[in-house]
Amino acid sequence: MLEINNQYNHIRAKVQTEVLKQFFGDTLEQDVDKIPFYIIPKERVPARCCIYKERAMIRYRIMAMLGINIEEDDDEMKSLSEYVKEVLEKDTPPVPILTTISTACSACPPDRYLISDACRGCFARPCLANCPKDCISFTNGKAHIDESRCIRCGKCEGVCPFHAVVHIPVPCEQACPVDAVKKNEEGYVEIDYKKCISCGRCATSCPFGAIVERSGLIPVVKMLKSKEHVTAMIAPAIEGQFPGTLSQIKSALLASGFSSVVEVSQGAETTSVHEAAELGQRKEEKLGYMTTSCCPAYMELVDKHIPFLSEKRSSALSPMAYTALWCKEQNKDTKTVFISPCLAKKVEAARMKSVDGVMTFVELASLFLAKGIDVREMEGSDLGDTSLFEDCREFALSSGVASSVLRRVENPEEVAVLSIDGIDKRMFRSMKIWEKRPPEADLVEVMCCEGGCISGPGTVVKPSVAKRLRGGNNATTPVKSMRTPIVRG
Amino acid sequence: MAKREKVAVKICVGTACFVQGGADLLLYDEFLDPIVLANCEIEGVSCLGKCKEAGSKEGAPFVQIGDVVHGDMTEKKFCDLVAEAVHA
Ligand code: SF4
Ligand code: FES
Repeated sequence: MLEINNQYNHIRAKVQTEVLKQFFGDTLEQDVDKIPFYIIPKERVPARCCIYKERAMIRYRIMAMLGINIEEDDDEMKSLSEYVKEVLEKDTPPVPILTTISTACSACPPDRYLISDACRGCFARPCLANCPKDCISFTNGKAHIDESRCIRCGKCEGVCPFHAVVHIPVPCEQACPVDAVKKNEEGYVEIDYKKCISCGRCATSCPFGAIVERSGLIPVVKMLKSKEHVTAMIAPAIEGQFPGTLSQIKSALLASGFSSVVEVSQGAETTSVHEAAELGQRKEEKLGYMTTSCCPAYMELVDKHIPFLSEKRSSALSPMAYTALWCKEQNKDTKTVFISPCLAKKVEAARMKSVDGVMTFVELASLFLAKGIDVREMEGSDLGDTSLFEDCREFALSSGVASSVLRRVENPEEVAVLSIDGIDKRMFRSMKIWEKRPPEADLVEVMCCEGGCISGPGTVVKPSVAKRLRGGNNATTPVKSMRTPIVRG
Repeated sequence: MAKREKVAVKICVGTACFVQGGADLLLYDEFLDPIVLANCEIEGVSCLGKCKEAGSKEGAPFVQIGDVVHGDMTEKKFCDLVAEAVHA
């Protein structure tokens, strides 16, 4: 995965903020076509081939932000302004959640192994000895790989004492756990949505920014502008993403136009209680292990690739679902917006009547910037009585779901827990074997992102930073908090 | 060498800076040279007001080193400038 703080993300934040500013200033339809010129001025030293291509890319970014499916609906004759007009008139859920920009895709050559100049043609020749396909030969005292026979096992890379073997991957293909990213005949990226589990790994791995998420932001800001009652449902991972406490974040959300703010940890509590009870029952009936069901990418994984696990996962709804139902119960006219670091949640939300909108933390950051809101300067709002569900804020961290559940079972010491911390290609393969060789555990917690939701594709800060800023007032003194060890409550 | 005052380094943790890369600078313990680190006093400060300046060439994140505020801060630029200030 790429570092969060890179040039691509910077530009994306700038574009987003500008679009939102224009939206709230009622000039979007009129001025949107100027944004590429404003972001990429004549004087800029381009990082792509030229400023014209960069501007074209900004155009695509804006389209993705408008929620447009670029693969299908890209019409170069159409101005951004026309797109804006359509989007402002009609809301369509941004599913599939990704879209690819073939112009950005560099059509990376297929994944391969190469012998570099560092090869010394040594005497032991471990590459030769370890290649299962005999595709290494020596000419002029240096090793060569016969590409036509190479099966890309990587054995030679591991054994060369001079690190002379280089692996040149195709980042998106390598990142995708389920082989849903493929190159088409021209070599450009294509996603097979029948296989895709919406985890977002490919999007964060592409150094050209050719795979982008389709945003659901416009429908949300439309709600905010329309003065409807809008409830912000904040995912537990939000703590540590902004320079302020949860109660300051709440104030910042209220200042941005949300009518009320509800912590999704509340729904997480319901999920935990349900899972705890179900776990007890399954144990009694000797049904074997049970998996958690809160990670939407995992849910998609089961539905699309590992159907036998559908009996194994808990029947509990997700924290988002319980929270949304609760909000609608309190006020049936409220519009609910789920704010999280997750892309796959958009798929879940699109299926549910009770969730009206979704946005990521990155998008929320742009909303704050566009509105000139500084979380740090906010007077904190009362979060109400959180004692019942406070501990479930841990849902954002790997193994936090399992511990929340354990705190709610009768004999926690009798429950063996396995936590699946991130689903990559390897993990996907191991999970498929569970049908024959079930994991030795009662409760299997599954998180598609390593580290949990705080590493999700829509996060603003690195997990190592976010972790330290979570809890109490830590986020109000970020520099100090980074130096004090983490105390887990 | 005479004992000198430590260089004051202020990382802006206002929202605009924080969400545009400023948060990464908080990991300075990991990337700053330990000798340089020992010679400066790093703290977080509220919005330095720079992010709101119209037409400014530099953008967030901002960091004040000594009396000068620098923008478009990256890990590398941070290391270079702080080291420079410490050795000056
Ligand atoms: S499964 Fe994940 S990595 Fe693969 S195409 Fe879908 S979002 Fe991208
Ligand atoms: S937030 Fe850093 S200068 Fe304003």
